[in-house]
Amino acid sequence: MSRFLFPRWSNLVLPTIILAGATVPIYAIFFVAYGFSPKTLEVGYQPQQPVPFSHALHAGELGMDCRYCHTSVEKAAHASVPPTQTCMNCHTQIRPESPKLAKVKESYTTGLPVEWTRIHKLPDFAYFDHSAHVNRGIGCVSCHGRIDKMEVVYQKSPLSMGWCLDCHRNPDVNLRPLDKITNLSFDSATDLTETERLDLKKKYHISPSEDCSTCHR
Amino acid sequence: MHDSRTGCDTTTTDAGMKFARAEYWRSEEDLEKTPEFRELMAREFGPNAQELANGDERRTFIKLMGAGLALAGLAACRRWPESKIVAFSQAQAGRTPGIPVGFATSVDVLGVSWPVIAKSYDGRPIKFEGNPTLGFSKGSNAIIQSRVLELYDPDRSRTVHRKGQPSDWASFATWAGEFNTKFKANGGAGLAVLTDGTSGPTLDDMKSRFLALYPKAWWGSWNAMASDAVVDGAKAAFGRSAVAMPFLGKAKVALVLDADLLGCPATGVFHSAEWAKNRRVEAADASKQELSRMYVAEPSVTVTGMSADERFALRRSDVAVFAALVAKELGVGGVDALAGNARAGAIFNDKTKEVFAALVADLKAAGRDAVVVAGPMQDAATHAIAAAINEKLGAVGNTVAYFDGPASGHGAQIKQLGEALASGAIDTLVILGGNPAYDAPADVDFAAKMTKASEVVHFSFYANETSKSSACTWHVPSAHSLESWSDGRAIDGTIVPQQPLILPIMDSAQGGRNAIELLATLTGDEATSSYEIVRRAHMKVSGLSGTAFEAWWRGNLDRGAVEGTAWKAMQAPAVNAGALTELCGKAAAGVGGEFEVGFQIDGKVAGGHFANLGWLQEMPDPATKITWDNALLMAPATARKLGLAKGDMVKVSAGSGSVDAAVWALPGHAEDCATIALGYGRGEVAGRIAANAGFNAYPLRSSASLGGVKSTVAKTGGTYAFAHTQDHGVADALIGNVPTDGVQARLPVLVRETHLANYQAHPDFARHVGHVAHRLSLWEESNLEGAKYRWAMTIDLSTCTGCSACVVACQAENNVPIVGKAMVARGREMHWIRVDRYFRGENVDSPKGFAVQPMTCLHCENAPCEQVCPVAATVHDEQGINVMVYNRCIGTRYCSNNCPYKVRRFNFFDYHKREPGREEGFLKVQPDYYKDIAETSYPIDNPADAFPRMQFNPEVTVRSRGVMEKCSFCMQRIQEAKIRAKNAWAKAGGVDSGQGTWSIPDGAVVTACQQACPTQAIVFGDLNDPKSRVAQLVKSKLSYELLEELNTKPRVKYLARVKNPGVGNTHDCGHDHGDGHGHDHSNDKSHDHAH
Repeated sequence: MSRFLFPRWSNLVLPTIILAGATVPIYAIFFVAYGFSPKTLEVGYQPQQPVPFSHALHAGELGMDCRYCHTSVEKAAHASVPPTQTCMNCHTQIRPESPKLAKVKESYTTGLPVEWTRIHKLPDFAYFDHSAHVNRGIGCVSCHGRIDKMEVVYQKSPLSMGWCLDCHRNPDVNLRPLDKITNLSFDSATDLTETERLDLKKKYHISPSEDCSTCHR
Repeated sequence: MHDSRTGCDTTTTDAGMKFARAEYWRSEEDLEKTPEFRELMAREFGPNAQELANGDERRTFIKLMGAGLALAGLAACRRWPESKIVAFSQAQAGRTPGIPVGFATSVDVLGVSWPVIAKSYDGRPIKFEGNPTLGFSKGSNAIIQSRVLELYDPDRSRTVHRKGQPSDWASFATWAGEFNTKFKANGGAGLAVLTDGTSGPTLDDMKSRFLALYPKAWWGSWNAMASDAVVDGAKAAFGRSAVAMPFLGKAKVALVLDADLLGCPATGVFHSAEWAKNRRVEAADASKQELSRMYVAEPSVTVTGMSADERFALRRSDVAVFAALVAKELGVGGVDALAGNARAGAIFNDKTKEVFAALVADLKAAGRDAVVVAGPMQDAATHAIAAAINEKLGAVGNTVAYFDGPASGHGAQIKQLGEALASGAIDTLVILGGNPAYDAPADVDFAAKMTKASEVVHFSFYANETSKSSACTWHVPSAHSLESWSDGRAIDGTIVPQQPLILPIMDSAQGGRNAIELLATLTGDEATSSYEIVRRAHMKVSGLSGTAFEAWWRGNLDRGAVEGTAWKAMQAPAVNAGALTELCGKAAAGVGGEFEVGFQIDGKVAGGHFANLGWLQEMPDPATKITWDNALLMAPATARKLGLAKGDMVKVSAGSGSVDAAVWALPGHAEDCATIALGYGRGEVAGRIAANAGFNAYPLRSSASLGGVKSTVAKTGGTYAFAHTQDHGVADALIGNVPTDGVQARLPVLVRETHLANYQAHPDFARHVGHVAHRLSLWEESNLEGAKYRWAMTIDLSTCTGCSACVVACQAENNVPIVGKAMVARGREMHWIRVDRYFRGENVDSPKGFAVQPMTCLHCENAPCEQVCPVAATVHDEQGINVMVYNRCIGTRYCSNNCPYKVRRFNFFDYHKREPGREEGFLKVQPDYYKDIAETSYPIDNPADAFPRMQFNPEVTVRSRGVMEKCSFCMQRIQEAKIRAKNAWAKAGGVDSGQGTWSIPDGAVVTACQQACPTQAIVFGDLNDPKSRVAQLVKSKLSYELLEELNTKPRVKYLARVKNPGVGNTHDCGHDHGDGHGHDHSNDKSHDHAH
């Protein structure tokens, strides 16, 4: 019986393994770090809603205040999505026959809710309170972006813990006067001087906590 | 030199090492320091907590884990599941999403309504808290807390049944129409109604309407926990019906004769609050401190007995003799037959003779400020004697009041009904609630007699033994108290409304009606909804109408009580000496030394009503620490005499029947007798939780002897495994290989207590019970200076009764899972707060006393758990709270291992996703064990499975498998208070508002355990506010830290217990102070280094 001889190409096996051994882990680390980060997975999430409600029209063109619909934002943890009744306050008069409003009207007559798809979602172990922020100088735009320019709303910020902490560690740049909270075009960074922002910080005792218990309970 | 820790003797163990026999011990095993106990003490959890059971099961486990991992990989590749936001169609007035609303309503427990505030979160009731509207009703108990879980019980009855077949409400209504026609024609002849003893003005009104329509109908009640002896005793003593109501808050001396006043499911919260009034050690000048004194004579060990200053362990029948002896000493006539009984000589030893003399002297001295109370399981004679003593003392009108009582006892009523059924006189029987087929006295043989009626309508919340009986022709499911309007009477008689928070969560075609609505249907009433019926009755009560009535009604609903409707105490007639003599004569004939079994009202299932509530089943019994079962309790000496060990199965036979039960030896129990709690031992019919829990004692009970029976006990050979927690979580620093006569002997004890006289002389005794060396830290201590808040808690051991309301309240608030019997047996119970119960003394047969100590995470400033966590999942926040970060935890359990107090709990499984049943096999899992019930489909296909989740508190994370958890000081409540306070301040203008900074007033943050505590023994607050109650109490000389020798600096401080015994209440009684060991310098830092 003749001796088994490795074919010549087998000389390449070892260098290939070494190369793969060196690059694959790096690739994998990059893949996981980038591919699984909220920036990749969450930002830009823009599901189709059952009703083609346009924030660009209502909050932008018409200039409606956020709090006309999101009534509990100053009182509760949730900003709350308005009841169908809120839509019909106007739409019994304005474009009542528009086909885009069919589902809203249906909900209004049947009493069954419109099922909106949730966009901004925190994990169940994280507790964010809208009222704690909007009452002390953090505006809607800081997290939600220029909603007044969104035809279909998407997630602007990663809503990751690191992103939350960036602001908790350095809140100054996002502080604004309470009367500008829902003003989406107001930019604290450019429209306020540093002294003005520091005055606000002093006025409302802004010293955001970095304790775990602030958000996790 | 006597030392408090070591007691007097030591025992040598098999390892040849000497172990101290501690003065305080948890169990016989602890007292003897058996090798098993020592191992348990040294370990984080008990044996089997961490190991998988056997090879086969391990293989299954690995397979499942493998599959789980593979799936986890796939699942990670997408955004998390899409979720919906469903807003209302129409806005709801006064409702903000995410802001809970409190409604004043009431909860009925065994016929007594307790005013509560029900918390509704986005339309779901999630928690009950006591409603302080009546002054005494601030706290609550475990049963009241658990009633919210009952609403969501997947095992509750949901379908109308006709002769065992599913039917619907419409068919029942049609039948009710025929019923109406038939009985209107004959005036109700052959008709009987049996209620479960609940009452209220509306039910009374419906009763009178029912009886007006069907005048010949029989109407009676049966509540297995009601006592005929109370009625009969009063009738004999006064010649009329009366119910005695003691006021412990007014009494300087109380003698409690076999009555679990403080632990009673229906009235315990009231009596606990009253008792605690005279037990707080708060006098500014310690030498002027006064305390009331409670003597208890009882066969078993109850919450009341454990809180007593002096306790006599007496057999049930001997308590009557004891009462007669007291009466005789006080000069009450007519008790000679009992006092002269042969047993009178047998019930005392030298020690108890001395205590007895002190008792008599105390009663004489206190006069009208003393009170004698007899318990429901005592015979009529004891009640009559108690009435006679109270009269003699002049206590009537001061420490005891009498109210109108029922004309006859429930036992007599059901017996009467049984006889009527047997004679064929009853054609149609309507049972409103209750479960007589299970809990009626054995001699009535109700289940068999029921078959004599041609129609039996059973209306109840659960489809129980009675509904499933072949005699039952209609079963109608009842709505929960949170689903319907009604009312009831509080313990003082005040009318308390019951308002619904949610629509019936059952198919509306199946009814969803309550008792008053059922009666309305049966009477063809024009008012059909409970709302109309209750308002109609209240118009009658108030005599108002129109806007005046509306204002009155709204006011009552807001307050949760109708003011001025408390019962008026009656002028008690003089005790009839002749009748007393006769009653004692009769009673004396029944007294003897034979072995007897007494019955006990269980503080958890209360006769079986609440048997299917997992929170209650899993709550360790306050005295025995047994979970998920009851047991035949007896003294260790009696068990030895009968050749029985813990867990041995025995057959208990009495005249009326026999039951099989397992034995549990309970130190402190009276000898030559046994006690068994009622309400267990039900089959599958009772529901998935209650099925096969414990042993049914009802077959022993006869209507002539509802309190106890003479019986024999015979070993059957089998054994039964109990899941008890008395040796779980042993917090102790004793180390086996260190000599006990050295350093360890001087360590301070966990429980510190003394007698009033000693306290008056040495108010700082708690600081001198041991020796604490230099307070040096092994690691860098947390720097908590400059914090805005320093949250802290004190637990007052003088007023803690061990009732365990806090345990269940915490479970309700913090989404603590139910783990099941098999898991508890492995030491995996998840309670964030536990109540340790200790026996005191050197002898297992005669414990000198009892001590209870609630244990929760002590939030050490210098926390050992934090030092060992590899991922910093448990850290301090700046308020000084030791926080547990679930999302960081990787489940090494090092923290738990390093926690000297053993208060950390590990999620060995996703307990919320499994059914907390009693399965024995470790991995014999439910089919949907690994399935996430709520997320399998949307909307949920089978709503029943997801029902219990509706109780979850959305403000608290639901923990999943593999993470550690523990008390968070109710972080969600602190955050809530903080955010609200900050918002209000910022809205007012921040620093421009006139207030320099925002602040939370003292008392704005109340933890769940604190809120539930009937005696307000738990106080929580901010140490930075020198005026806060907690800051005051921490400064008290009674405050001490547990295991302070470890220098953990806990934020939870205990206030040492001060008792007021009748004998030996002098300078020193087993407690060390100023003995030359040197002092604990914990509060005297300047000496630390000079020491």
